[in-house]
Amino acid sequence: MKKLRVMVILALVSLATLGAQTINVLLWDDPYPKALQQMLPEFEKATGIKVNIEMLQPPQVYTKTSVAVTKDSSDYDLVAMDEGNVPVFAGLMSPYETWPAGQKYPKVDKSTVTSAMLDVGMWDGKLVALPINGNLYVWMTRKDLIENPQYQKDFKAKYGYELGVPKTYQAVLDMGTFFNDRGIAAGFGPFNGGPAGVLGEAIFMWEGFGTHFIDFQGGKYKVVLDKAKAVQGLEFYKKLMAISPKGAETMAHVERQAAFAADPKGVFSMFIWPAQIAAYEDPDKSLVAGKIAYSAPPAGPAKTAAVRGTWALGIPTASKQKQAAAEFVYWWASKDIASRLVDANTVPARTDALTDPKFAKTKPWLAAIAESMKSATARPRLKEIAQIQDVVKKYWIMGITGQSPAADAIDSIIAETNAILAKAGY
Amino acid sequence: MNRKQRKKTAINLLIALAALAILVVELYPIGITFINGFRRDLVILSGRPFALSQLTLRSYELIFKNPGFLLGLRNSILVGLLATAVSVVVGSMASYAISRYRFRGRNALAYGFLVFRMLPQVSLVIALYLMFKAVHLRDTILGLTLSYASFNVPYVIWMLLPFFTAIDRSYEEAAMVDGCTPLMIFRIVFLPLAAPGLVVSAVFAFINSWNEFLYALILTGVNAKTAPIAINGLIGGDTLTWGQACAAGTIMLVPVFIFTVAMQRFLVRGISAGGVKG
Amino acid sequence: MRYSPKPATEGARTATRRRGARRLAAPLFFLAPSLLVVFAVLVFPILFSLFVSTFDWPLSAGGGDRRFIGMGNYVELSVSPEFWNSLKLQLGFIFIALPVELLFGYVAALLLNREFFGARVVRTLLLLPVFFLPIISGMTWRFMLQPRYGPLNALLLKLGAPEVTWLSDPTFAYLAVVAQDIWRMWPFMFMILYAGLTNIPNELLEAAQIDGAGFWRKQRSLIVPLMTPTILTALLLRIIDALRIFSEVYVMTEGGPGDATQLFSLFTNRVAFGYGKVGLASAMAIFLLALSILFATTLVRKNMSLDVLEEKAGGR
Repeated sequence: MKKLRVMVILALVSLATLGAQTINVLLWDDPYPKALQQMLPEFEKATGIKVNIEMLQPPQVYTKTSVAVTKDSSDYDLVAMDEGNVPVFAGLMSPYETWPAGQKYPKVDKSTVTSAMLDVGMWDGKLVALPINGNLYVWMTRKDLIENPQYQKDFKAKYGYELGVPKTYQAVLDMGTFFNDRGIAAGFGPFNGGPAGVLGEAIFMWEGFGTHFIDFQGGKYKVVLDKAKAVQGLEFYKKLMAISPKGAETMAHVERQAAFAADPKGVFSMFIWPAQIAAYEDPDKSLVAGKIAYSAPPAGPAKTAAVRGTWALGIPTASKQKQAAAEFVYWWASKDIASRLVDANTVPARTDALTDPKFAKTKPWLAAIAESMKSATARPRLKEIAQIQDVVKKYWIMGITGQSPAADAIDSIIAETNAILAKAGY
Repeated sequence: MNRKQRKKTAINLLIALAALAILVVELYPIGITFINGFRRDLVILSGRPFALSQLTLRSYELIFKNPGFLLGLRNSILVGLLATAVSVVVGSMASYAISRYRFRGRNALAYGFLVFRMLPQVSLVIALYLMFKAVHLRDTILGLTLSYASFNVPYVIWMLLPFFTAIDRSYEEAAMVDGCTPLMIFRIVFLPLAAPGLVVSAVFAFINSWNEFLYALILTGVNAKTAPIAINGLIGGDTLTWGQACAAGTIMLVPVFIFTVAMQRFLVRGISAGGVKG
Repeated sequence: MRYSPKPATEGARTATRRRGARRLAAPLFFLAPSLLVVFAVLVFPILFSLFVSTFDWPLSAGGGDRRFIGMGNYVELSVSPEFWNSLKLQLGFIFIALPVELLFGYVAALLLNREFFGARVVRTLLLLPVFFLPIISGMTWRFMLQPRYGPLNALLLKLGAPEVTWLSDPTFAYLAVVAQDIWRMWPFMFMILYAGLTNIPNELLEAAQIDGAGFWRKQRSLIVPLMTPTILTALLLRIIDALRIFSEVYVMTEGGPGDATQLFSLFTNRVAFGYGKVGLASAMAIFLLALSILFATTLVRKNMSLDVLEEKAGGR
């Protein structure tokens, strides 16, 4: 029997080389696809489709997709696209409406995808990729700190309002300063890592102070940043930097996690991508597992901006295994699998799984995510975004670290972004 | 005599101490990585860099259960050995020709090899990808091996040049008198005499292949993926798995180390077999 | 009698053309495999790169159409401050790191070129940093320099260093990147120089000993001249590697803070794989190639032609 099984597997593998029921899938590397991978044998058993999953870090997913997917050929039958890259690859993907009906699993109705996420897969009025996770800014606050009666009393005495989950930028600053000055914990955890993330922080502040970065008007992209408001946002972030841990100037996710989760005096409150929650709630890696209060991000003077960064799945037009690839997506996006992914502390894009009452108690972040989705905010979506990110990152960090005056930093961002747009022909 | 010997012992002792000091500095980061492979992530980040509490084998357990890493390790070893073999054979022949024959364009050729190698991989990899795809070498061990020859062959050629150049011409003259063909001279006279150089170039060809990242990323898919790509998944991401990354880093040291120690045996034998100093 | 002597005069060359053809057969035989391999995987991609460098060539087919723009990419480079900055950083990196690596390697090779207890173990262990996977090395250095939990930072503080957030400061971050490379790669110099030293015939050293030559004289008149080809080779090999340094720096700093550690190779990667401008990245590569050819044909040719190297090797 065992021999037979081995032979069947071998036969399947050799079929793979002939291009039969095997699909190559390119995904990003984080706890979410990893949790899915655990369940993969079920899918393979049920459908006889062998799924080769290649998981890479986000920048490399982009590189690999760029090289390996063209109009005429594709090494992959399914690729994950980071939100910002959808515009680049949109033309190479089959629109969702052309995806075949499922044989084993029914085609997923796109209305099951949380509406705040659906935009991610849209380009030129068509859904070119199916958003698959529910990733947008969620706020984390150290519950043990805000629930401490002594701190509550002292804070009230000093600031005149209740200590709690910060609801506004000002509250983040007040409470953060309170803890920071008393040496209890650093007040804030900035993100100063990769360009895409830094742009997210800039957008978070700009939108919060009421200005938009880039608009699409009359077929052209235009920088519409209001200088005064943008400067305010930057100046405010600079204040937050002052209550951040040492090394904040180069804090990326890894350092933020080390500060928030592995250091009792680390960070009082900061944003997180839901994709990372699994790590913060893992007692093996985190001192604060179970001690985190999740909420929507605090509101700026103008509005709440939950910056979004979701992955979407696309089937390249050149794929020869569209049926099998679609089947795999339908399985992945089904209610059953989505629920189990929620159970594994990850965050799919299905509304019904995220709002399933059975998780309300055990997964406190779900309510926060749902709340965040009401103010989901996209970063600019255009092909030139990588260069623009670099510009923003460079001057934003110069501004918030005081290497250059805030006004100069914003001027440079506007001027250089305009130059990039002009060069791209807008 | 006695005093001289004592002085020699004292000098040797001093040198051994100096060597120890150098080793401590050089191995400090590696020691940190090694220890962290056995510590929990929380302890690693606790700010007590030398605390050895709560040691665990969990990271190793996880990394050995990671199918991507195991396949990568296997591929890395395979590609490393193949690429080393190809480059040393091909490169030593070329190096021999360049060092022993006078022909037009000799300098240009030698420096051509070197100069071409200066280009960063990023500027070559797209052409290689298209080429390999056309001839169905994408995502194969063979394709990756060939691509590694692009930086290893020039490396081996240049590394061997001084070794070949330093070999006295009387050896080959004697061999010529004995009626050896050029190929025999190369094999019987030169290779053994340049053994230290061969070993050094083999070791570095192996390391270059072992450490390579970009070609391995672009030119492979699920089949021929090497370990650095798998490890990158552990470290480049949003949630770093410190313990596992350190365990993987430690594991990655083992094959190269074994390879070098094995090569060192040949090194000693090569020198004595050559009988240069007899 | 030389085995294959240089033709003495032009006349002699014509007279011996047939012999010359046969003489070429042997080197061609030895060179053929390498020429074949190198042409396929190195020269062809370079020619392709040259071709691409005249195009506006998006990395992804979805990024737009390819357009021939002649020298457009080169013009763009010439006015790009980021490009010149990255070149400056890269050259600075080479000029700081390599001499230090050479010095350390040479001293260590001299020091360890004798048998003492544990010498072989030391020589082997010393190579571990070179074997250390670059991405892991970058990660470890980044970790070690962290303010709160970094072990190297902790050690430096204990040794009385000022409290610095190493990787957040442009100058220190740059120096840290250089230090990482020195730490990792000087044993490489050591290994090559050591192999070269062991290749020096003992009789020569003994003869010098009998002559009563002191340490410095022995260095100056015997060892350094004999080692020159090895030293130059090691330097050349390191230069070309240093030009391609990527993954360790990328993991360690991502080119930051700002663009303080955005070395040429990192910038090329960013342009090609971040911005998706393959044409521009190719132009950068071709520029580098032109620069190194210039370097090779002027500096190197005068001082380091193979004949000179061989003469320095003792004219044997």
